[in-house]
Amino acid sequence: MDHDEAVRQKATERYLLDELDPDLRDQFEEHLFDCQDCALDVRAAAMFVEQSKVVLAEPPVAAPARVPVPEPARAGCFAWFRPAFAVPVLALLLVMIGYQNFVTVPHLMQAANQPQVGPWASVNLSTRGEEATVIKVRTGQGFSLLLNLPPEDGFVSYTADLYNPGGKLEWSGSISVPAPGEGRQIYIPGRNRQSGTYTLVVHGVAVGGESKEISRHSIAVQIQN
Amino acid sequence: MLLQSFDDSYVERLREGDFRTQEHFVAYFTELIHLKLRSRLHSPQAIEDVRQETFARVLAALRGGKIRQPERLGAFVNSMCNNVLLELYRASARSTSLEDEEQDDFPTLNVDVLGAIATKRMGEKVREILNELPERDRRLLREIFLEERDKDDVCRDFGVDRDYLRVLLHRAKQSFKALYLKNIAARPPGMAVAKR
Repeated sequence: MDHDEAVRQKATERYLLDELDPDLRDQFEEHLFDCQDCALDVRAAAMFVEQSKVVLAEPPVAAPARVPVPEPARAGCFAWFRPAFAVPVLALLLVMIGYQNFVTVPHLMQAANQPQVGPWASVNLSTRGEEATVIKVRTGQGFSLLLNLPPEDGFVSYTADLYNPGGKLEWSGSISVPAPGEGRQIYIPGRNRQSGTYTLVVHGVAVGGESKEISRHSIAVQIQN
Repeated sequence: MLLQSFDDSYVERLREGDFRTQEHFVAYFTELIHLKLRSRLHSPQAIEDVRQETFARVLAALRGGKIRQPERLGAFVNSMCNNVLLELYRASARSTSLEDEEQDDFPTLNVDVLGAIATKRMGEKVREILNELPERDRRLLREIFLEERDKDDVCRDFGVDRDYLRVLLHRAKQSFKALYLKNIAARPPGMAVAKR
């Protein structure tokens, strides 16, 4: 077993889950002892599993005991409805409801029902791009990634993982196989978006369930005010 | 424990008994041997015996100039471990026994305060990763790793397949790996991460 095959078969995970048959296990171990990358991968995963056992064994945090709060002296059942208090509160509520019904909601409905022009970038998954795709957006503005999936590659579906500039997995999703000539689009919302280089990793899933990384693209998002 | 190349220079230093090289060698391969043997042997003493015997034979082979490909030192250690394991299974007298020679006693890994702090940090990271998972995935991992239920049964109960479990573990490992690599790079060779 060589390194690429070990990565393609997710051998680290299969090894730790005892899913490899004896022959494959022996092959992987022979590779593991020689490949420092795979050795680190297995050791990290094993450490994660070991620490998980400790964390998962911890009892759930109990809700703090409620200390009964003495009831304040009642000023009568209808104290909250005194005009001096109730009128301003009601007025404020009416203003809020009016604003939402007459301004906010119509604006949102208009935005949702009309064509929108927005930034997009094309990501060709047939090649492993070495240069980052650059996309410029305004603060709060989302953007689309148009995926050109490799034709006739034999996969039954795809999965996509989006990592933020900090390396943290932000989003994962499944992508169905497109019809010939068809592409796929991922819309990335703009809310709380930060500038930086994001990484989109796409895996092809074969009939047997095996997953293979087919593309890893860097997307440099530049937020302009 | 930084990455080291297993090359002529490394093998030569190991053969000459260089302390730091020997420390690195023992620490590096001890973890791999433990991982290899955990599913084959259930007795910690048996695992320790195989580990010691493997290292003893590898060192003997080194001193005898029998390692011709330094870059394949790892494969040699694995192969030697397989041989020791086979002999243990057969419970026969070892033909290459080192009883007549001075046997090196390879130290078990030490645990130090730095290791304990690193373990605490890694435990917090694991907790953070697990807390970010949906409750269902947390329960799935709990039943697999903590309760050690049959994986097929657990997957069936949760309505997922084995690939889902693999991907779940893969992503969690990826999230954890950066901190793990940072911690082992900071750790002196020969020091293990403290076990809770």
